[in-house]
Amino acid sequence: MIKHTLISKTILGVASLLVFSGCNKYLDQAPDMRTDLNSPEKIGELLATAYPQANYITFTESMSDNVSDKGSGAVDPDNSMPYFFKDNKNTDGDSPTNYWNAAYKAISAANHALEIIDKQESAEAYKPFKGEALVARAYAHFMLVTLFSKPYSLQTSNTDPGIPYVTTTEKIVLGHYERKTVAYVYDMIEKDLKEGMPLINDSKYKVPKYHFTRSAASAFAARFYLYKKDYTNSVKYASAVFSNASFSAYLRPVNSTEYMSYQYNELQAQYTRAVNPANILLVEAPTAWGRSYATNRYGFTSDLMSKLTTSVNVTGGTWAYNIYGSENTINIPKFREHFVRLTLNAESGIPYNMIPIFSAEETLFNRAEANAMLGNFDAAIDDLNDYIASKFIVSPSLPFYDESLQVSIDKLLEFYDSADRTQVLINCILDFKRVNFLFEGERWFDIIRHGLPVQHKKSNGEILTLGPKDPQRVFQLPEEVQSSGIELNPR
Amino acid sequence: MNVNLIRDRLFKTVVRSCFALALLGMCGEAAHAGPHESRAVMQQHIIKGKIIDAEGKPLVGATIKVKGTAVYAIADKDGAYTIQASGQAVLVISSIGFVTQEIAVSGRTNFNITLAEEVGRLGEVVVTGYQTVNKRQFTGAATTVKATDAKRDGITDVSRMLEGQVAGVSVQNVSGTFGAAPKIRIRGATSISGDNKPLWVVDGIILEDVVNVSNEQLSTGDPSTLIGSSVAGLNPDDIESFEILKDAAATSLYGARAMNGVIVITTKKGKIGISKVSYTGNFSTYLKPSYSQFNVMNSYDQVSMYAEMERKGWLNFGATSRFPNGGIYVKMADLINEYDETKGQFGIKNNPESRRAFLERYANANTNWFDVLFKNSFMQEHAISISNGTDKSQLYVSTSYLNDGGWTVADHVERFTGNVRATFTPNDRLSYGLITQGSIRNQRAPGTLGRVSDPVSGQFNRDFDINPFSYALNTSRALTPYDENGNLEYFRRNFAPFNILNELKNNTIDLSFIDFKVQGELKYKILKNLKYAFEGAYRYAKTNQEHSIRENSNMPMAYRADGDATIRAANKFLYRDPENPEAEPIVVLPYGGFYNTNDNSLKSYNLRNSLEFNERFKGDHQLRVYGFSELRYADRQFKNFNGYGYQFDKGGVPYLDPNFVKMIVEGNSDYFGMERRYDRFLAYGLNAGYTYKDKYNFGGTVRYDGSNLMGKTRTARWLPTWNISGSWNIDGEPFFKKQTLLSRATFRASYGLTASSGPATNSSVVLLNAATRRPYLGERESAIDIINLENSELTWEKLYKTNIGFDVGLADNKFSLAMDYYSHKSYDLIGLIRNGGIGGEAVKLANYADMDAHGLEVTLGAKVLDHSLVKWNTQLNFAFNKSRITKLKNEPNIWSLIGPDGGAKEGYPQRGLFSLQYEGLNKTNGTPQFINEEGVVSDAVYLQSLKTAHLVYEGSIDPKLTGGFFNNISYKNFKLSALITFSAGNVIRLNPAFKSSYSELDAAPEEFISRWVLYGDAASPSIPDKREEGRLVNSFPYNNYNYSTERVAKGDFIRLKQVNLSYDIPAKIASRLNLTNCSLSLVANNLWLMYSDKALNGQDPEFFSSGGVAMPIPKQFTLSLKVGL
Repeated sequence: MIKHTLISKTILGVASLLVFSGCNKYLDQAPDMRTDLNSPEKIGELLATAYPQANYITFTESMSDNVSDKGSGAVDPDNSMPYFFKDNKNTDGDSPTNYWNAAYKAISAANHALEIIDKQESAEAYKPFKGEALVARAYAHFMLVTLFSKPYSLQTSNTDPGIPYVTTTEKIVLGHYERKTVAYVYDMIEKDLKEGMPLINDSKYKVPKYHFTRSAASAFAARFYLYKKDYTNSVKYASAVFSNASFSAYLRPVNSTEYMSYQYNELQAQYTRAVNPANILLVEAPTAWGRSYATNRYGFTSDLMSKLTTSVNVTGGTWAYNIYGSENTINIPKFREHFVRLTLNAESGIPYNMIPIFSAEETLFNRAEANAMLGNFDAAIDDLNDYIASKFIVSPSLPFYDESLQVSIDKLLEFYDSADRTQVLINCILDFKRVNFLFEGERWFDIIRHGLPVQHKKSNGEILTLGPKDPQRVFQLPEEVQSSGIELNPR
Repeated sequence: MNVNLIRDRLFKTVVRSCFALALLGMCGEAAHAGPHESRAVMQQHIIKGKIIDAEGKPLVGATIKVKGTAVYAIADKDGAYTIQASGQAVLVISSIGFVTQEIAVSGRTNFNITLAEEVGRLGEVVVTGYQTVNKRQFTGAATTVKATDAKRDGITDVSRMLEGQVAGVSVQNVSGTFGAAPKIRIRGATSISGDNKPLWVVDGIILEDVVNVSNEQLSTGDPSTLIGSSVAGLNPDDIESFEILKDAAATSLYGARAMNGVIVITTKKGKIGISKVSYTGNFSTYLKPSYSQFNVMNSYDQVSMYAEMERKGWLNFGATSRFPNGGIYVKMADLINEYDETKGQFGIKNNPESRRAFLERYANANTNWFDVLFKNSFMQEHAISISNGTDKSQLYVSTSYLNDGGWTVADHVERFTGNVRATFTPNDRLSYGLITQGSIRNQRAPGTLGRVSDPVSGQFNRDFDINPFSYALNTSRALTPYDENGNLEYFRRNFAPFNILNELKNNTIDLSFIDFKVQGELKYKILKNLKYAFEGAYRYAKTNQEHSIRENSNMPMAYRADGDATIRAANKFLYRDPENPEAEPIVVLPYGGFYNTNDNSLKSYNLRNSLEFNERFKGDHQLRVYGFSELRYADRQFKNFNGYGYQFDKGGVPYLDPNFVKMIVEGNSDYFGMERRYDRFLAYGLNAGYTYKDKYNFGGTVRYDGSNLMGKTRTARWLPTWNISGSWNIDGEPFFKKQTLLSRATFRASYGLTASSGPATNSSVVLLNAATRRPYLGERESAIDIINLENSELTWEKLYKTNIGFDVGLADNKFSLAMDYYSHKSYDLIGLIRNGGIGGEAVKLANYADMDAHGLEVTLGAKVLDHSLVKWNTQLNFAFNKSRITKLKNEPNIWSLIGPDGGAKEGYPQRGLFSLQYEGLNKTNGTPQFINEEGVVSDAVYLQSLKTAHLVYEGSIDPKLTGGFFNNISYKNFKLSALITFSAGNVIRLNPAFKSSYSELDAAPEEFISRWVLYGDAASPSIPDKREEGRLVNSFPYNNYNYSTERVAKGDFIRLKQVNLSYDIPAKIASRLNLTNCSLSLVANNLWLMYSDKALNGQDPEFFSSGGVAMPIPKQFTLSLKVGL
């Protein structure tokens, strides 16, 4: 350092003799046209990237009991590794590591926005964006803690390792972080959520369906409190999503005449469109999921189909979904691919899917589950009947909905052959959800929250079981986190 | 001996004389008071004579001065002079590079004076671009190359002139296309992800690149490579000399830009007393490539391979008619389907005989695509220069014109250059000068789009590639360019008709390049030993690329191919309306083609102020101090515009279908763009040199650089660099005089720090706006993406260079030897570092890599024969370089290590090539197998895997040994010279030839003759059958084979680069023709690849056949005429 100063002094001494002197201002010119975050509008634009632009569906669906070995088809490690309950070391594609990286990238965008907002003197114009940034930051952390830590538990979350809750921007090459505990992460999420939600102003969004509007934030809160087992709050926020109105108008009318007349491409397209009222929050993610879920070797099979959708269900009716594909490509069209070519004429490019991260159906199920846990069975039954009215038909030959398909608590008790009212409601909710969210990866979250075991059959007949206590249920962190002082999950 | 210095000396001498004249009032009526000479005492005589060197050649421009007066004269082009002096006067005769003589007149009136060459003293100077230093006092490692030695007639790009000339400078011709820069490295690579390009300096001013083309980009064949050579606009005839600065001491004044060495170009100046007009004309022709050099199946074998493909289900009738791409089988299917109503029959009857008859024509075609696409073309180059000089002003004016008709039917180059350089010396204290240089280039190249690397399938793709060289090599010889009636014959590409000749005519890139530089310099002698100098330059360069894709070329036709529902569904160039997902795709380019432009411009200026102090104390001590400040400024602009529906043959009116624009916008593309970049640079430097008794030299430099590319804090932005060096002229020691073996010996050593700014720019967070990637316009919004997080630790890439060297002359300098050993320790190199991603950027560019390199350079020279009639000079130079990455945090994936450019991995050279371990063919179906990323034998390898432990290391991509061997024999007026270049120690990835499915357009290499057909034979991989291919979804064994241990060759080669035979017309005849000189030479360039690895099978060891605009260096013959008036 001394040498450095000495040299600097000598040179500066000489330099001052010459014509130019300290021209730091001359060197302040940015080398390219990079953006400066100097207006609320730009903060808003930055926050358009504060949502994890990655797809968790491939690994959560492939890990779940919605898939089986077709015996042939495309084998991609993103699909096969989770099927065999192994860690996927892939860092790109639809790997857990890619989701991890994307979630923290989203957090970083939120933190960069907050860093600027907190420096503002007149904060009023920035307030709505502060709200969005806080809720987005909470959401990304929530997804991380759900996938990479053990599920929330009143007993063990105070000691279960969480994931680093990041609230500052990283300005050095290797930052140092701590995992702390699941309970700590949940506390931080709740803090950000509570602080951010009231600041949100829907009118500030150009494309509200891709941002945390008040309803999207409420839908997030409903899910968060359900996972946190705070059922009263879960019900409260779920109801707030559509301002206490009935969910009926917002559910995908799968059994309507119009919906059933849609062709494949149309079905595919409308499912993830912003104008579809069922979608509460969408995010664009680079992924090949939409083009590969039908052909993946480890995917939805006819055996599963007959078990899940064609066998007798609690309503006595039939699922109204049009199921497409042949023996090895059974699918329900849900994801229209947006293919961004590298150049206009290029063959290569990046495929994008719009992922519905909050939907009317999911919120409905969350409220129903919370009500079931609270003992509000009637309210839960009402939600389920709203749901049934949008998804079931009497039979393929009588392709319309009839009130006879509605369920009652007695019908559930009988169907599930149990005396536990909460349990039969939960069973019904899980069964409906499993079909409703086929190819959407949601099943996994129910598997971990409810401790459901998963069995996968290998081609040699061996059966792999993922028991409720299996450490493999918690996805592995990228190995490189160790350079930031983070420990990996046990294996 | 350096001509430039001679001129400088001459210039100074003249300045001094002139100053004296002015004082004494002898050369004008402005007489000053107080002359001490008595004016008219002595009788003045006219003295005449001739000044010659030891060989009897006239010493043009030598000065003759009457001692003690200001009277002087300059020898003319014959060495003759006339001067007035008294009988008692003493004449002082001097010429740069020669020992000054004093001769007493003693009443004589005619003197013929022979000056002796000043061996080892003058002539050996080093021009660093900042200073000109006497070689005896220079402590660094530098090599001077005179343009007259390096100039290779017929080679139009200056950067290729250094091939094989200098030990430690490697020039690899990855593409021979005009304007594409060769891969030049001085002492190997110093950086892992940086450019490793040397810094070009022309007349003291750094030559900025218009666009920065990285080393990897150089070999892509993309259109941007056409403007990759920063010196392509220089007229080779204008160049006086090159100076290659290698070690820390030599490059010291370039501080933080000197990491990769510096090449200083000095251009010609006018000479005092000489008025000369020179003309150089080069007339060249190229040889067409021939199939005998390459390994491509003839059409008979090719059609027999198609027959196998047909058997294996690839060319089934019915399916073929719906193929997007196809050759003879597709054509056959079309003809079978085509019912001619007038004749009442189908194009071909669908029976075996008719089909056979149809195919037979093509089986026997054996088309020579090289003949079709290449020409033995003509290239002419004319350069005229006028040089004139008096004691007060010197002028050099030149212009040149190059017209290259092109090696292929698709390219053509025209270049004009102009250069005016004037120097004025109004008095002894002041001198100033102006240089104006300009060049215009017009070039045509085959239309091409950028190359895309696909790590999933392991392929490099380029859409619509029509590179004639790749086409000739890769297109089946069974296809024919013309049909039986002599009309162009079309086959199918992208569902549209395709004929290469039609395509090359209708899909072109026209590049124009204007480069203009004005440079001014001013020198003022404040005191006798203190000089002030100012140099300033302004440069404006603009390139414009027009990519014209006319309506009848394949690409627009592909946009219009909607033959039937199957084609409409399969054609990716049709528009699918997202709002109407069930609708059939539609054509959105009903008329016209594409008119795409790409403009780059550079505006830069450069200002430098310097002070130089030079004083000799008490005879033995000499001190030189040089201090400067410098400012550099460069603004670059990049523009692109893609025009759709432009109707070339309808008066240039665009026909716009709004759906086209909708398609672009919905596809997240832009139809135009503009970007600016700004470089700001400040530097301060101080250099001191001390010489004791002309034997011991010590030098030291400190420099302080600041750049806007680095962070905003003082520590990140400003970097001090320094070096120390010394040299010992052993030949000045008394003991040296006691021996006779050595005639000259110098020992040099230097150590210092140099740096480079590296490829990272995230000194502050890098945020860029983009439209969100969502399918519907109503869901789009503008978003800001964090491209890079701030790295407050970002700093310069640095390198400690150590150099030890010596220069020895033996047997009266008949033999010379220069040897240098160097060691490079690069640290703080920018590398990719994969981290936990918690900060938001999982792979960062940061100063986390280190690399070591060392090398040895040897230059041996000998005057084997030195007769008055026969002379034979020879020079051998070679250099050895080895690098090793000692630290690199990035984990490369398999794909990044197995490609032709290799990859960087800790413990290996800067770029190492790795291979998949080949494990033979699957016994039952001939599918190749490898050790995959998990260490298991398999046909599938996951190329994106980070597990690279099972790869086989093949060797370095860059040669470890490079060099040149030069011989020059002259007999009377004949001169014969030959240059051989060689390189060794690297490995090369063979061009990819294997695929899991072959189109019947592809030419197969001869390896396919020995392809696997039956069970068990160990041959090259089989052609998979259709069902087999279906099984191979997402595994690419045939492509993997391209990157296996089977597909690597050694890069060693010896090349006869040039042979030159020239004849100087004897002076007598020349003077009868009123010429001062006239010579004629015959030059053959790139004549013969004398040795290369057999495994290459005709593939050029230097050239990357990457398509696009890349073309190998042709064999070329040139007739060169040089005339002086």
